[in-house]
Amino acid sequence: MAISTVSTAYLNSALLPSVRQAQSQLATLETESTTGQYADLGLQLGGQNGYELSLRTQDDLLQTLTTNNNFSDNKLTTTQTTLDSIRTAAQATVTNLVPLTSASTASSVMQTYGQTNLAQLISSTNTTAGTDYIFGGENTGTPPLNDYYATPTSPAKTAIDNAFQTFFGFGVSSPQVATITSSQMQSFLSGPFAAQFQGSNWTSNWSNASSVNTTATVAPGQTVQTSTNANITGIQNLAQGYAMLSEFGGIGLGVAAQQTLASTAVSVINHASSSILDTQSQLGLAQNQITQANDYISSQSTMLQTTLGKIDDVNAAQIATELTTLTTQLQSSYQLTAQISKLNLAQYLPTA
Amino acid sequence: MTLSSAFNIINSSFGTIGTQSSTIASNISNASTPGYSKQTANVLTDRFGGVRVASVTRVANMALATQLNTATSAAAEQSAISTGLATLAATVSDSSTATSSTGGLQNGDSPFAQLGNLATALTTYQSQPSNVASGQSAVAAAKTLAQSLNAGATTVTQVRTKADQDIADAVKQVNSALTQLQSINANIVDGLATNKDVGGLQDQRDTLVGQIAQQIGVSSSINPDGSLSLYTDSGVTLFQGIPSTLSFTPSGLLGPNGAGNQVYVNGTPITGSSSNMAVQSGAIVGLTQLRDTIAPQYQAQLDQIAGNLITAFQETDQSTTTPGLPALPGLFTTPGATSVPTSSNFTGLANQIVVNPTVDPTQGGDATLLRDGGISSPTSGNYSYNTTNAASYNGRLNQLLSSLQTPMSFAPAAGLGSSSSLSDYAQTSMSWLQSANNQASANASYQSSLQQQASAALSNATGVNLDAELTQMLTIESSYTASAKLLTTAQSMLQSLVSAV
Repeated sequence: MAISTVSTAYLNSALLPSVRQAQSQLATLETESTTGQYADLGLQLGGQNGYELSLRTQDDLLQTLTTNNNFSDNKLTTTQTTLDSIRTAAQATVTNLVPLTSASTASSVMQTYGQTNLAQLISSTNTTAGTDYIFGGENTGTPPLNDYYATPTSPAKTAIDNAFQTFFGFGVSSPQVATITSSQMQSFLSGPFAAQFQGSNWTSNWSNASSVNTTATVAPGQTVQTSTNANITGIQNLAQGYAMLSEFGGIGLGVAAQQTLASTAVSVINHASSSILDTQSQLGLAQNQITQANDYISSQSTMLQTTLGKIDDVNAAQIATELTTLTTQLQSSYQLTAQISKLNLAQYLPTA
Repeated sequence: MTLSSAFNIINSSFGTIGTQSSTIASNISNASTPGYSKQTANVLTDRFGGVRVASVTRVANMALATQLNTATSAAAEQSAISTGLATLAATVSDSSTATSSTGGLQNGDSPFAQLGNLATALTTYQSQPSNVASGQSAVAAAKTLAQSLNAGATTVTQVRTKADQDIADAVKQVNSALTQLQSINANIVDGLATNKDVGGLQDQRDTLVGQIAQQIGVSSSINPDGSLSLYTDSGVTLFQGIPSTLSFTPSGLLGPNGAGNQVYVNGTPITGSSSNMAVQSGAIVGLTQLRDTIAPQYQAQLDQIAGNLITAFQETDQSTTTPGLPALPGLFTTPGATSVPTSSNFTGLANQIVVNPTVDPTQGGDATLLRDGGISSPTSGNYSYNTTNAASYNGRLNQLLSSLQTPMSFAPAAGLGSSSSLSDYAQTSMSWLQSANNQASANASYQSSLQQQASAALSNATGVNLDAELTQMLTIESSYTASAKLLTTAQSMLQSLVSAV
């Protein structure tokens, strides 16, 4: 049998390290039971800490994307509403114009249709969401369409007047306009006049918009178009249709030429309507993508939170049990220390 | 046998009891003195049938003492490493105690968390490029990231500087202990030669060796004359009758380029990679490792992040000038930088990296340059990406965002591979640090409990048990009573004899 001895110094201090450890554990457990998370994640997770934090930053990014998507969605909704009203106005104009394509008298009401609608189109296209001109493409800082009826005369109007002068050899206010034939009118409208609404004529006289649409990342790796711009065919054609009515509807054309003007306008505006509808369905697709992205984000975020919970969170029941155990352990340590210090032969020796 | 011889024997008994009591008294009064070794009086029967104390010996256990010294060295080494790493790891903590519930610090202040915040802010800005406030938030996030790298690098400097000072303190302590050892050792040798009680001195000597073991791993041997020879655990003589001198020149502030000096014993280096006789354990080893290996490695990682951050956000020539202009630092730069740093010049960038003042609204800059480009040279327009000056242009922002995810090359010397994206690298760096901290903490607590066990074993083997001493005291008390009784009996016998005459 080995004779084991224990030194008094050790006996009295044997419980000290365990008390010390229990106390520091107690502080840790207190923090953990309050926050529900490990007191020192880094120490607990070690090499897993980077992964844990990457999940957290990923979740933050997703939350931010949700907020951003609300902005984009709002912008798209405003765009859709505006396009709706533009299209409704176009259809109403067509309804009003159709009887005039066969009218026996030349009516100057066409000019009024053209003026009202063109002004309305320009003002709609210059709608803002916040400080952004929503039809500006990337160039959201400048009104996309210039004021056609501005004083001094806008470059667009001057260019149209000049084209008329060049084609016919006389101005719009000349009495000779009554002599313009139907086929002459047709070739002017589909030739030099139509050219005013395309290419560099359009971008220099009419539009300040950028043809590049704004985009936004709606989900990690997914980018959608968040706007359209004033340079789309629909708006160009509408401007063309309204401008021909506004410019030539009341200048005193002959009946045949006036009928040609009306029917050309109907065809151009109809074409514009369907083109705008195309744009609207494109934007609808983007809105749909945003909704889907939001759904994806919300499910992804839930999953991330669950995973994070598994990594970060302490088991509340386990903590409570550990706390109780530790408290009991500390209490018995104190009791033992007190008893051991009494366990001393000197206490039991009779005093001389 | 004569009555007078009985008196002699009784007399010797009183003498012995006196010595025994004083030994017990010494043991009892030193019961709580750390490092005290129990003494025992060895009693012999003398040739007259009496008793005498042949010697007072000190209970020693060389094996356990050596074990304790080894455990002390290892524990001190791990504790030094663990303390330093805990300080470093605190800078990347994302525990609830180190974070705020919302805002820029909600995930802590690690470069990785701040890089995530920057990416989030840039994502918001690219979705609302015309919103100046979004641009300002992105610049603010960039500033916090730069500050996080600065703070990390500053902590590395602090940890290294403190380790350097601690090494200097340790060297001082060892030198002072070695000097004290000389006189104590000489006294022990003298005492043993003249048969004096040297127990107390031996205790002191052991305590001194323990103090040295705290700083440097040692091995010791006791020579036949009772003198001590002390060597480092690598075999360099520390003490042999005369003490060796440890020399160390502290470096003051140890920046990213500072190397720090090594510890020498009589001119022989005992720390550092160039040393053939490098000590294996002790606080000095832990501190050296912290100062020369662990902290510099983290510094290198921070420098790699800073350098590649500057590179990722650099601006290239957008004009059609021939020959093309060189790339310039964009959002991130260092004060006075005139070019993008090359990978061989990354050292110390983490300390210097700042957000370019031209893009920082708080320094009179313009945050929209982040969207448009031209941070490096706002007036020339050569580095402007937004050629049409469109308010909702986000091409450059998307480019910046994707550059955070694009693999870049990193110096393998920093220990985290040579190719990964900035974001992944920052993540790995954080994991590396926390993993090292975790291991060091586990090692430190393991070594500390080993030390406690060794200390308990030594204390049990050589320490005082009060009850045992008291029991012995009782025995001695009884034997004193008996001797006294014997004396009175012998005396009454003698008196009877005298009165009978």
